[in-house]
Amino acid sequence: MTCAELEILLCDYMDGALRVEERAALEAHLAGCTSCSELAKDVAGVTAFIEKVAPAEPPAELLTRILHELPTAQAAVKRSWWRSLFGGWVHSILQPRYVMGMAMTVLSFSMIAKFAHIEPRQLRPSDLDPVKIWASIDDRTHRAWDRAVKYYENMRLVIEIQSRVKEWNDQEQAQNSATRSGRQADSGKQKAESSGQKPEAGTQKTR
Amino acid sequence: MATVAIPAAKWNWVPPYRMVRAADSLDADSQLVERCLTGQDAAWEDLVKLHTRRVYSICYRFTNSDAEAQDLTQDVFMRVFKNLKSFRSGEGLFVVWLTRLTRNLLIDHYRRTRMDRATESIEDQVKVLEETATPLSRTDRMLAGREASEILQGALQKLSPELRETVILRDIEEMEYREIAQVLNVPEGTVKSRLNRGRAELARILRRHKVQI
Repeated sequence: MTCAELEILLCDYMDGALRVEERAALEAHLAGCTSCSELAKDVAGVTAFIEKVAPAEPPAELLTRILHELPTAQAAVKRSWWRSLFGGWVHSILQPRYVMGMAMTVLSFSMIAKFAHIEPRQLRPSDLDPVKIWASIDDRTHRAWDRAVKYYENMRLVIEIQSRVKEWNDQEQAQNSATRSGRQADSGKQKAESSGQKPEAGTQKTR
Repeated sequence: MATVAIPAAKWNWVPPYRMVRAADSLDADSQLVERCLTGQDAAWEDLVKLHTRRVYSICYRFTNSDAEAQDLTQDVFMRVFKNLKSFRSGEGLFVVWLTRLTRNLLIDHYRRTRMDRATESIEDQVKVLEETATPLSRTDRMLAGREASEILQGALQKLSPELRETVILRDIEEMEYREIAQVLNVPEGTVKSRLNRGRAELARILRRHKVQI
C-alpha cells in the first residue's frame, strides 16, 4: 500500500469501516511509514478531541424570533403564488388608491348616464346585433350631444356671457364704423387743402 | 406434451429504480415538508424546532460568533419558508437540502465579510486562542466540554473555508460522506481528502498552542 492509497482509506479506517484484509494492509503500512503514522495519530487525536466538545446550543429566544418571522414568510409565499398566477398587475390594481379611483369613475359614469337618461334594462339577444349596437350608440351619442348643447345654451351664465360678448362686439363695430367715417372726412379736407383753395378765402368769396 | 417452465422471477413485478429510491428517501422530514406545503402552521413550527440546533451549530462553528450565527440561522429559515417548494423529496434528504442551503449562505457571508476580517489584527486572533488554551494545557482530562468547544472554535477559524466546512459537517454534525459530497457538490474522495487535511491541520494548530490531543 502506498501513502496516497492510505490517505484515501484513512477516513474509513477511523470509522472502522474497512474490510479485514484492507485494515491489515493499512496497519502494516503504518508500522513502516513515519509520516503516515503521524498523520493517523493526528487524525485520531483531533477526532477524539472533537468528541469531547460540547454541542453549540442555540439560545431559546432564537426559536421565538424565527417563529415570529413565520407569518411574514408565509404571507410572502402566498403572495408569490398569487403573483405567479395572475402577474404583478393584479397587485397594483388592488391598491386602495386605485380601487377608490375606479369607484369614483364608476360613480361619475353612472351619474352621467342618469343625467343623459340612459336607463338600464334587461339585455336581449337582438341587442347584440352589431348594426343595431352601432345605430343605438350613434343615436344615443347624437341625442346626448344635442341635450348637452341645449343644456349649455340654456344656462344663465352662458346666456349672460354670450350677450355681454355680443354687446362688446356691437360696440366695437360701432366704434370701428365711427372711426372709419371720421377718417373719410379728414381725407376729404386734406384733398381740398392740397388743391390750393383756402376754405377761408372761399368763404370770403362766397360772402 | 412438453411443458415450458416459466421463470418465477418473470412474474415478480420490480418497481422502477427511481420509485424505489423515492420510497427509501421519504423520511419523516419529507412528510413534515409535505404538511408544511399544505399550509399547516404546526408543521412549520415542528420543522423549525427540529432543525434549529443543527443550522445554528453549523453557523456558529463556521463564523465563531453567536450574533452572526443567530442572524444567519434566521436567514436560513426565511429561505426555507420561501423556497421549500423547490425541495423534491425524491431527489434527496431534507437534511442535505437544508445543509446545502446553510452552507451556501455561509459562503456568501464569508465572501461578504472578507474585507472586515482582513482589517482585524492577526495577533488578536492568536491571542484569543492562547488565552483559551493556556489554562487548559495542564492536562487533557481537565478540559470541560465547554472549554474544549472554545478551543476548537479558535482553531477552526485558522482553517481555510473548504477544510473548515468539511470538518464541521463530518466531525461535529456527523453527516455521511455521501451527504457531505452532495452538500459541497464534490466527489466523496475529495471530501475524505479534505477531511484528512483539515484534521491534520487542526492537530498542528492545537499542538502549537499547547493543547494536548
